[in-house]
Amino acid sequence: MSVVTTDPRFLLLHHHHRRATCFKPVPKLQLVSQRRLPFHLNCRQTPNSRGNVGTRHSCPLNALSSSGSAVVETSESSDVTFRETFRLQRPEKLEGKITIRLDAEKNEEYGQLTVGCNLPGNWVLHWGVNYVGDVGSEWDQPPLDMRPPGSIPIKDYAIETPFGRSPTQSEGEVFYEDEESGNWYQHRGRDFKIPLIDYLQDDGNVVGAKKSLGIWPGALGQMSNVILKSNAADYKEDDIVESNLQKRPLQGFYEEHSVFKEFFTDNVISISVRYCLGRAKNILFIETDLPGDVVIHWGVHKDESKSWEIPPEPYPPETTLFKNKALRTLLQQKDDGCGSWGLFTLDDGFSAFVFVLKLNENTWLNCKGDDFYIPLTSSVVTDNDSGLTHSQDEEQLKDFGPAEKFNDTSDSNQAGPTYADGIINEIRNLVNDISSEKHGKTKSREAQESILHEIEKLAAEAYSIFRSSMPTFTDTNLSEDEDLQPPVKISSGTGSGYEILCQGFNWESHKSGNWYMELNEKASELSSLGFTVIWLPPPTDSVSPEGYMPRDLYNLNSRYGSLDQLKVLVKRLHEVGIRVLGDVVLNHRCAQYKNQNGVWNIFGGRLNWDDRAVVADDPHFQGRGNKSSGDNFHAAPNIDHSQEFVRKDIKEWLCWLREEIGYDGWRLDFVRGFWGGYVKDYLEASEPYFAVGEFWDSLSYTYGEMDHNQDAHRQRIVDWINATNGTAGAFDVTTKGILHSALERCEYWRLSDEKGKPPGVVGWWPSRAVTFIENHDTGSTQGHWRFPGGKEMQGYAYILTHPGTPSVFYDHIFSEYQSQILALISIRKRQKIHCRSTVKIVKAERDVYAAIVDEKLAMKIGPGHLNPQTVHKTGLWPLRAEITSCLNESMPGFKLMLQFIYLSILAVYAEFARPTFVTVLVKLAGNSAPFGTQVVVIEG
Amino acid sequence: MDISFVGSSQVNLGRNGDVGFFSFGQNLNAKSRFDVALIYIWMASIMVDGVKLYVGLPLDTVSKMHTMNQERAIAAGLKALKLLGVEGVELPVWWGIAEREVRGKYQWTGYLAVAEMVHKLGLKLHVSLCFHASKQCKIPLPEWVSRIGKEEPGIYFTDRSGQHYKDCLSLAVDDVPVLDGKTPVEVYKDFCESFKSAFSPFMGSTITGISVGLGPDGELRYPSHHHPAKSNGNHGAGEFQCYGKYMLANLKQHAEKHGNPLWGLAGPHDAPGYDQNPISGGFFMEDGGSWKTPYGGFFISWYSSQLISHGHCILSLAASTFKDAPISVSGKVPLVHSWYQTRSHPSELTAGFYNTANRDGYKDIVEIFSNNSCKMILPGMDLSDEHEPLESRSSPESLFAQITSSCLKYGVEVSGQNTAVSGVSRGFEQIKNNLLDKNATVDLFTYQRMGAYFFSPDHFPLFAQLVRSLNQPTQRLDSLPVNHGDTVESLPDSNLHMQTA
Repeated sequence: MSVVTTDPRFLLLHHHHRRATCFKPVPKLQLVSQRRLPFHLNCRQTPNSRGNVGTRHSCPLNALSSSGSAVVETSESSDVTFRETFRLQRPEKLEGKITIRLDAEKNEEYGQLTVGCNLPGNWVLHWGVNYVGDVGSEWDQPPLDMRPPGSIPIKDYAIETPFGRSPTQSEGEVFYEDEESGNWYQHRGRDFKIPLIDYLQDDGNVVGAKKSLGIWPGALGQMSNVILKSNAADYKEDDIVESNLQKRPLQGFYEEHSVFKEFFTDNVISISVRYCLGRAKNILFIETDLPGDVVIHWGVHKDESKSWEIPPEPYPPETTLFKNKALRTLLQQKDDGCGSWGLFTLDDGFSAFVFVLKLNENTWLNCKGDDFYIPLTSSVVTDNDSGLTHSQDEEQLKDFGPAEKFNDTSDSNQAGPTYADGIINEIRNLVNDISSEKHGKTKSREAQESILHEIEKLAAEAYSIFRSSMPTFTDTNLSEDEDLQPPVKISSGTGSGYEILCQGFNWESHKSGNWYMELNEKASELSSLGFTVIWLPPPTDSVSPEGYMPRDLYNLNSRYGSLDQLKVLVKRLHEVGIRVLGDVVLNHRCAQYKNQNGVWNIFGGRLNWDDRAVVADDPHFQGRGNKSSGDNFHAAPNIDHSQEFVRKDIKEWLCWLREEIGYDGWRLDFVRGFWGGYVKDYLEASEPYFAVGEFWDSLSYTYGEMDHNQDAHRQRIVDWINATNGTAGAFDVTTKGILHSALERCEYWRLSDEKGKPPGVVGWWPSRAVTFIENHDTGSTQGHWRFPGGKEMQGYAYILTHPGTPSVFYDHIFSEYQSQILALISIRKRQKIHCRSTVKIVKAERDVYAAIVDEKLAMKIGPGHLNPQTVHKTGLWPLRAEITSCLNESMPGFKLMLQFIYLSILAVYAEFARPTFVTVLVKLAGNSAPFGTQVVVIEG
Repeated sequence: MDISFVGSSQVNLGRNGDVGFFSFGQNLNAKSRFDVALIYIWMASIMVDGVKLYVGLPLDTVSKMHTMNQERAIAAGLKALKLLGVEGVELPVWWGIAEREVRGKYQWTGYLAVAEMVHKLGLKLHVSLCFHASKQCKIPLPEWVSRIGKEEPGIYFTDRSGQHYKDCLSLAVDDVPVLDGKTPVEVYKDFCESFKSAFSPFMGSTITGISVGLGPDGELRYPSHHHPAKSNGNHGAGEFQCYGKYMLANLKQHAEKHGNPLWGLAGPHDAPGYDQNPISGGFFMEDGGSWKTPYGGFFISWYSSQLISHGHCILSLAASTFKDAPISVSGKVPLVHSWYQTRSHPSELTAGFYNTANRDGYKDIVEIFSNNSCKMILPGMDLSDEHEPLESRSSPESLFAQITSSCLKYGVEVSGQNTAVSGVSRGFEQIKNNLLDKNATVDLFTYQRMGAYFFSPDHFPLFAQLVRSLNQPTQRLDSLPVNHGDTVESLPDSNLHMQTA
């Protein structure tokens, strides 16, 4: 508080505001009043040699990248896996002076007070006076004739506080006079209502001075604090001046106060990461518009650990090793001088690049208190599986390349703003824009955040409830389909990528003779449950009632119903938005006639093939075709797909099925029996929306116990998919098998392979894996390989939260599990989990398995405990402990409870109680999923 | 805290604190709640400068059992809207719910609960009195009316093939005592009176406006499209709905008075069917169609005058009922924009608007609004010419301009609406353009309608953007964050899909 006593009657208060233009001296203003001594108060700004420091350095980003383009040419086959621009706020300190000069005019009737400031910006003097004799510290407005032109009286809630304000020219000129006594003045922050220090005790002195000479002395020389606060558009600064005021007798005085102003300068740093497939390297390009020398203090993370490690050489130029803990690289100046850049090449195998910025010994910049964390891609390719390598690379290029939105090779989905992001941005802008435009202040950032959260939360809540109580589920699904715009061209191997398959029959379905019509009744229900694709039983004339021993392929009257009923059903399913897969048995076909040897190998119906269509290597059927391209199915003649005419006929048949019945795709029976290349041929001809093959063989066992490593098993399936050129998916038999052991024997560790990936096909080629836990052969009334009883919901919790295309068996849909399955499906849909979602296995131990999918949904199965805090500590999951515990307490006891969570709640921990012990944890990533997610709690 | 900020909003702060604003910020500590309140007040005060924005509540906000449907969702939604700075909400009040069982027995509890909730949040309320039924959310006419209709289908509109349109009463029976000895107009009047007294505590404070149902979907028109075409790509112009018993009697009488009794036996024989192209032949043919003949003129004049007098009757009923309440009364006029670019304007003719290439049919309509000092609600502010199918020769923009210019001339205030929750970003663009148009007469816009889609991540951000753009027309898109563009760009496709779905 800087107080200069010159007048016990008045206390002059003033303060500066910054303005855009520099101060210019303005002619003094004088007012005469009989026995008063007028003073001039001048605010003046003088150029400052450091004035530029405060200006923003901003370079357009394209200018930044121009220097980078030359560098990235190293990787033609690479793809950008991460790109982000961070805002940097850099504190700057500026030192300046405030000068205060008091001049007495000749006639000593006037005084002139001049206040100057040499800091850049616009300053407004904010002041008032205290009248002699006033008790307390309230401000008063100076008399009218004291106010320099342009002064605006400011009303404030402190009613006694009069403000004189500097005029438009930024010239703070305050004219002030008093005939008998000196003045007080004080610099103050306009926005800080600091009570004026009561200097009335000085009255005596002042009066004495006044009496003697009618001039100024007052209680100068007091230790004073001046708080100057200036509010300009982007700056917030608190300037504290401490100085001793020098007393100047009679003539007035001149003094200087040093001012320190701290403000933030905005800069950006942008990082892009490219992953170079050919060289298995990540190439990281950093650019910034920070002026001066910028040192990147960096390291890498290996695996999931949070510790800094030093990567092997080579390093960029100007790199030094810092205490064996980190590397320091001086960024290279850009050609145009505004900013600098650096290029980092990192070998495969690191999970993240972490760094902070060092500007000088005292100035470090980090990312909101944390290290900058740049996730890196590491190859998922296993060295010994060249076939797989090929296929994955191809898929990455084909599927992910054009659609950056679903950039799931990257650990971070930064590149793909979801629609949900939009809402945050929108509202944020709404608030920011209004605030900056209307008020020119960013004071209430916190408040803005709060309101944003509030709006988001409320909108999310309204959305969730409206949705959940929508009477017609068809509408829900329709709108959901909108959300799920296929990211890439639909491939018959994946459908849209968001398919959820329903096996629409069991082993007994043929018995009613009316299955199509029964299913017809259930169409809308199936649709409302969330299924997008249904697999219907084999439709053809068949020797066995279930349809898997087809005879006349063009006769579609079967034990499931007639051709017309089938058409009605397909039409109905299409109406409710479900695609239909026909179960086509291409491996074998039952003959209608015997050959001359009495062997059944002459076919009837429209496709009246003879024994040339039968493979030669099954002696039972005396085929005259070539040897089989696969395994033989011994109960019927195996078709020789190497025959041109056979393939032509099959293609025609498939196309006929597509057109005549309206099938959208195929479930291919027993594809072990012939080469996948033929399947590719058929699929290219019939152009299905979705196709899945049944490649079922045995897992590896040693002494009756399932091996942990089932790579050979899944490799065979992957090989087949590869042979179809990825045009078909395949049932993930491997996953089913491993789930059997894991759940039945409480060996949840099996659910992670040696590389920390899911151990089934879904771990290697998720987009082509059709996961299932049961079908008409394994379960139903056949029970060839039944899923462990009572563990079904854990199985579904696994496949419905994981990538791949999950398939749900009819018997389970219409069972007591329905509501739980529905819950899981809706979570899958809400979180937009798709066939290529990423999985991070958090825990795979004896009695617990937990994983985080796409960084937005977490699941846990197994009786063991998973402490969400543990998960949190992995850094994958910003979980708030208090919310967790609160939910844990409130959860039990609800039969079915829908809990809606919002952005501000980062995670919810809910438990599927006995008997399944499924825990679904749902995380809402800070900026990728602002909308709440339903958590369904079911008491067992 | 910024002082000038506090200073200027101090008074408001207390007031809004009273309306329960703070009550929902569970997770916020006291301080940030305070901040929220400040921001909200600050934003709300900004809103006043712009167009007033209302949002429609779900059609089925109040159930048949007079309880609120999805109360929690609506409560949350209203708070979100309030925070966004929306002025108020529109509440459909259904005849079929409030006077469901017996004539004269009104049940307002559900609606009162909504009004109370809206009031507590400090929002305004515009009430739509709906004398029609809604197929969409299965709200029928009152049960006692339907019972009468079973006996006497003549109270409904009827088309040439004898199909009845049962979602509202025919305008021909306005003054016929078909409802247990009372005329529909009397029944409507009683309904309005009862509503007025039940809601008197809210009148003028929370309730700022009433709109009164004038026909199908509340709009002043004939249900000319009541038999919607099944096939896609059909752009029929609808049919005349003059085949009800009372309509025909009226027509007959009119024709006899006119000296051409033969003209009063039926509607035009050569009018096209629902699915037929209207201008390819027959009544509406561009050249030589019957619409230009004396008979055509006779018929269309009669047909449209019936609509006009019905409109006048209902509007004056509402205006007189609410004349002493400090609220505005409005009625809704449809934007029948298909075939606007033909000479005969067949769609408008069948809907009851005698508006052709050489006759302004909306003048008379606007006049009845003017005479009754009513505001006009016009839907379709989200429609733009270039996105209408070419084959339908449609022009929503020209029609909108025609009607609003008439309104301007007659001093009728216009409130805008969108046609449906389209969510199409260009629909928002069009709304914005219409609202910010310097010549626009529109000072209030009601966005239809709250529901799951409205709050979905696909839609809500666009709506929020609309709200912002209404307040800050000068805000340029390029000042938004980088990823904003992507978000917006990626939307139109999906919504296009939505529309066709």
